Amino acid sequence: MWTYEKRLQYPVNIKNACPKTASLIISQFGGPDGEMAASMRYLSQRYTMPCREVGGLLTDIGTEELAHLELICSIIFQLTKNLTPEQAKTAGFDAYYVDHTTGLWPTAAAGVPFNACEFQSKGDAITDLYEDLAAEQKARTTYDNLIRVIPDPDVREPLQFLRAREVVHFQRFGEALEKVKESLDAKNFYYFNPEFDKKFVT
Amino acid sequence: MSDRQQLMKQITEISFVIDDLVLYLDTHPLDTDALDQVTQAMAQRKELLGAYAKDFEPLTRCCIRPDTNNASGQHTKYAGQKHWTWTDGPLPWEGGM
Repeated sequence: MWTYEKRLQYPVNIKNACPKTASLIISQFGGPDGEMAASMRYLSQRYTMPCREVGGLLTDIGTEELAHLELICSIIFQLTKNLTPEQAKTAGFDAYYVDHTTGLWPTAAAGVPFNACEFQSKGDAITDLYEDLAAEQKARTTYDNLIRVIPDPDVREPLQFLRAREVVHFQRFGEALEKVKESLDAKNFYYFNPEFDKKFVT
Repeated sequence: MSDRQQLMKQITEISFVIDDLVLYLDTHPLDTDALDQVTQAMAQRKELLGAYAKDFEPLTRCCIRPDTNNASGQHTKYAGQKHWTWTDGPLPWEGGM
């Protein structure tokens, strides 16, 4: 069950439209390391997580990623608000405009539509938590890449907030991995799948 | 900064404190300092959400009060008019609040 809270996790108040910038940031909506993939990854993995605290953490981080999805979409929406046809022709946004006008649609900056193959839910706690750690770093690098090329402070500030959250999530997933390992045989963490071979988890 | 913006800023800040503490407590459930901090922050947030709903509009379902939301009368013909207040106010992505 979820309920909606009518506010953003971090304020987004962009004064100047820039469809070119929107066409780059959209990758964090529907791209390979974007917020939709992040949220769906954690919210899918949690059911079979053998350690209840880790299932809880996946729920909480997966939920925060939905708030990040909303932040990213708010940035794109404001960057493409009240565009003139001339602005819509901006290189980088023109192809998107033809298919979606200024509607929000999950895609990577390079034009690849969102796809569940961007993330994995492997049914093995160690495999999934390493995937999650890698995912946070990949998202952090994507934010680094965006911040490097975007000069507008109205856009940079929320991106910097989001980048910082990737680092915090990485830390928390690292702690979750340690917690899972505590309940496994330290001589060989990989001898069993702690999710499938449940009887071997103490 | 208007009263609305000021109150929203405080709600954003205290809510973020809670967002961060929740994840921390998920992996450090016995940290008494963090437990005290989150308890205090949640009480403060509840108060701020209540104040915002009273003067402007509810941000959560728990704050919907058709009789008493919108005391400033911004969203109705007259202040205090009973109505469905959940749809009052700007949508979060609009910006420029």
